[in-house]
Amino acid sequence: MNRIEAIIRSIDRLPPLPAIIHQALQRINDPGSSAQDVVEIIQYDQGITAQVLQVCNSAYFNLRRQVHSLKEALVLLGFNTLMQILLHNSFKGVLSHSCRGYDLDTGALWKHSVSCALLTEILTRRLQRQPDSRLFTAALLHDMGKVVLSAYVQETFAAIKGLVREQGYSFVAAEREVLGIDHAELGGLIAEKWAFPRAIIAAVRYHHTPWLSGEDCSDLVGLVHLANCMALLTGIGGGSDGLYYTGDPDLMENFRLREKDVEKCLTQLNDRLAAMEAWLEMG
Amino acid sequence: MRIIIGVADMKVSSQAEAELITYSLGSCLGVVVYDPLVRVGGLLHFMLPESQIDPEKARRNPWMFADTGIPFLFKEAYKYGADKGRMIVKVAGGSQIMDDQGFFNIGKRNYAAMRKIFWRNNVLIQAEDVGGMINRTVRLELSSGRVWLKTSGEGEREL
Ligand SMILES: [Fe+2]
Ligand SMILES: [Fe+2]
Repeated sequence: MNRIEAIIRSIDRLPPLPAIIHQALQRINDPGSSAQDVVEIIQYDQGITAQVLQVCNSAYFNLRRQVHSLKEALVLLGFNTLMQILLHNSFKGVLSHSCRGYDLDTGALWKHSVSCALLTEILTRRLQRQPDSRLFTAALLHDMGKVVLSAYVQETFAAIKGLVREQGYSFVAAEREVLGIDHAELGGLIAEKWAFPRAIIAAVRYHHTPWLSGEDCSDLVGLVHLANCMALLTGIGGGSDGLYYTGDPDLMENFRLREKDVEKCLTQLNDRLAAMEAWLEMG
Repeated sequence: MRIIIGVADMKVSSQAEAELITYSLGSCLGVVVYDPLVRVGGLLHFMLPESQIDPEKARRNPWMFADTGIPFLFKEAYKYGADKGRMIVKVAGGSQIMDDQGFFNIGKRNYAAMRKIFWRNNVLIQAEDVGGMINRTVRLELSSGRVWLKTSGEGEREL
């Protein structure tokens, strides 16, 4: 078995998605289904329901009364917040692992992922678009491939670092050169395995190379790329891959964004992160 | 005792046993000041060059911007008895992503804004490690005034 095959096989070592999360996510990510459909699914899982209600009833949301059912939670908090709580509960564990290959301590990748997801929301608002739960999901999971690739990056770090520092490779290009696959493509394979919608798979796979997304090109791909560039700038949850990634100027132009917009978005991140941490600690 | 400075945050201290540390400087800049006589030190982790982008935010959090955060840092150090003439200044951060057209060159602009403020106020930088595409962690030992720089994926060295 060659190395690429071994890497791809090791996707199987990731914990599988719980079936209920899988079904809920498929509905969340299907523009044709309603918030009610999602609630219908989750409410049969007592564990998840209890977790969601605990977060809803935390001091952070400051709701005037105790919430006893997901239907109430949906009315009081809205679909987006409910969806975010669910996504957090589903992925915080696996994305919090330390990733030695990238010099990421426990929790660092999670912070980066949440920053990126929140930045897609901030960007969406700035562009005066409707919030899109697929976008949030894709942004939260964009670096999932690092969890698996980390061990291989660690083994070959000297070679990767050499290409990056001495030959001007981006970190993903160096991963690809040395290992035959990079964390973005691997993340795409994970998203595929989990049967996510095509737009999410593409947004994960092309988050460092949106110009290669071809017929899978969508706003999702572009916005996850831009939000990730901004998240990299903040350094939050940053690792040994540093900022060695390319930003796509054409996308900035397509969305009619200027450097001032990047700054504006970044000023909003801190408050959003603090708010999110406040309610996550309850959960 | 380890005092952590977050993103868009600042701490000044005179506790000899303390160290000030800030993690994850990307395009942000970390500014360390230290007066060796009174052993007062401060660390600012600012994010963006100019507060005019969001004056309301700057009122609530002056440490987010160079033009509001840097004067704040110095004034706070003076309150603890530090003297400008004795103060040692070291800076680190200001990285950027690979971007030919400068949409994301906040690191460079952060550095330029800081230099301008220092130049106007006759402040010299004693040591710096800026630019490139790396993440940095900076630590100040208040007992000795030594500043340590860690680059992600590598060891720590003195700045
Ligand atoms: Fe990535
Ligand atoms: Fe990322």
